[in-house]
Amino acid sequence: MALKTDAVVLGAGVNGLAIAYELCRRGKSVILADASVMGAGASGSCDDMILLQSKKPGILLEMTFRSLELFKALTGDLPCDIEFETRGGTILIEDAAQLAVMEDFVASQKRSGLAVEIIDAARLRRLQPHVSAHVIASTYSADDSQVNPMQLMKGFMLGAQAKGLRYLSRTRPEAIERRAGHWSLRMTGGESIEAEVVVNATGAYANSVCRLLGFELPIAPRKGQVLVTEQLPALGETNVWSAQYIVSKLKPELAKSSAPGAAGAAARFGLGFAFTGTHNGNYLIGSTREDAGFDKATDPDALSLIAAQARKFFPVIAQAQVIRSFAGLRPSTFDGMPFLGEVPDRPGFFMAAGHEGDGIAMAPITGRFVADLACGKTPEFDATPFRVERAMRPQGAAHGA
Amino acid sequence: MNPDEERHVCRCEEVSEREIREAVKAGARTVTEIKRWTRAGMGICQGRSCRRLVERILCEELGVSPATLEPPTTRPPIRPVSIRAVCREEE
Repeated sequence: MALKTDAVVLGAGVNGLAIAYELCRRGKSVILADASVMGAGASGSCDDMILLQSKKPGILLEMTFRSLELFKALTGDLPCDIEFETRGGTILIEDAAQLAVMEDFVASQKRSGLAVEIIDAARLRRLQPHVSAHVIASTYSADDSQVNPMQLMKGFMLGAQAKGLRYLSRTRPEAIERRAGHWSLRMTGGESIEAEVVVNATGAYANSVCRLLGFELPIAPRKGQVLVTEQLPALGETNVWSAQYIVSKLKPELAKSSAPGAAGAAARFGLGFAFTGTHNGNYLIGSTREDAGFDKATDPDALSLIAAQARKFFPVIAQAQVIRSFAGLRPSTFDGMPFLGEVPDRPGFFMAAGHEGDGIAMAPITGRFVADLACGKTPEFDATPFRVERAMRPQGAAHGA
Repeated sequence: MNPDEERHVCRCEEVSEREIREAVKAGARTVTEIKRWTRAGMGICQGRSCRRLVERILCEELGVSPATLEPPTTRPPIRPVSIRAVCREEE
């Protein structure tokens, strides 16, 4: 007996949950299915930052502004505390060359409406008293924020379940067919589902679902490793990351290095410094950006580099105890933009994957955007940059460079 | 409500027996899911004190034997070590 539903959302990560929640709010009957369990992928293996400063000026920054407004509303709307806080963010600048790059970057962000500035070392030390003496300046935006990803997912789940969501764990589609005006899904858990709309929100694993429909997209896993410390008293006010991290994220060609030893290893791991004190008092210290397939193991060499970097920026952290490490597979795309939209010639089949490191920050707007598309409404942002058509290939065809 | 269920099972994160039973009722079937839902096992001991208790509650609620439970994920370091010790170079 097939389960009949308006929509089936594949992937119970933060974006799948946000989309399921928004579809339920729009009165749709929804089934959410995950190959594993809620938050088993990138959404449960990440840090808590909602960064405006890391976004390139343009539509992703505009959508993150909107997401920030939506987070404030979700704080009241969702049935559990999502631990949303706005503590501001600082990007540490170590030398004149980085300062020049960051001055340009900050100027372009200001033109896009982000409240951000360069602050001197004295002002930085009022925000971050323990920062190393070698840091010469910093950026500062009061708007950078934080949210607990697990609590956010729990909130979307409970909120959607209260509106009728059916959640199936440990099951994934093994066949998806178009049949008499709807999609028919045969699931590995034995269920069969009939739905008007299918949303593929399976993150780094998105192509395993796309292939069932005979196409592929340039979405690939990009590994990020993170250290977790014991709970500590607050070391400073703001989220922290390094200008070098922004370079690694936005201008990888400048970060590439053939230098031997530690510098070469840092470049090989795509090392960048990200440092955030969570609501619970644990510090999360990251991170790497590695193209390492679907391997989620942490690596002693990478963890050593991450720890050394934390000591370099915050010498006091040397004493802190590390209690855990983890790695998450961010769904990266060829052009840094997620795929959000209906798949050509597959009416009612939508993609919602490829946010890389922006998945948590953009979940609230992604939920609304994709739910609007799936309901045939015009979303509140231009859908063109996210279209699936921009890089869709038949299954097995090689992707261009 | 059973007042005994207010006892902390995970002392590091102060998670009660009641919260763990609620997570199972909400659909958790593994220690890892309970951890994500309640924070039980996410503290300084990383579940070394509470894991067996959590497993026992899980088995009671699901009516299964501990041998059938999916093992929890463990990640380095197995015991807390300082940032200094994690750094390979120097000292």
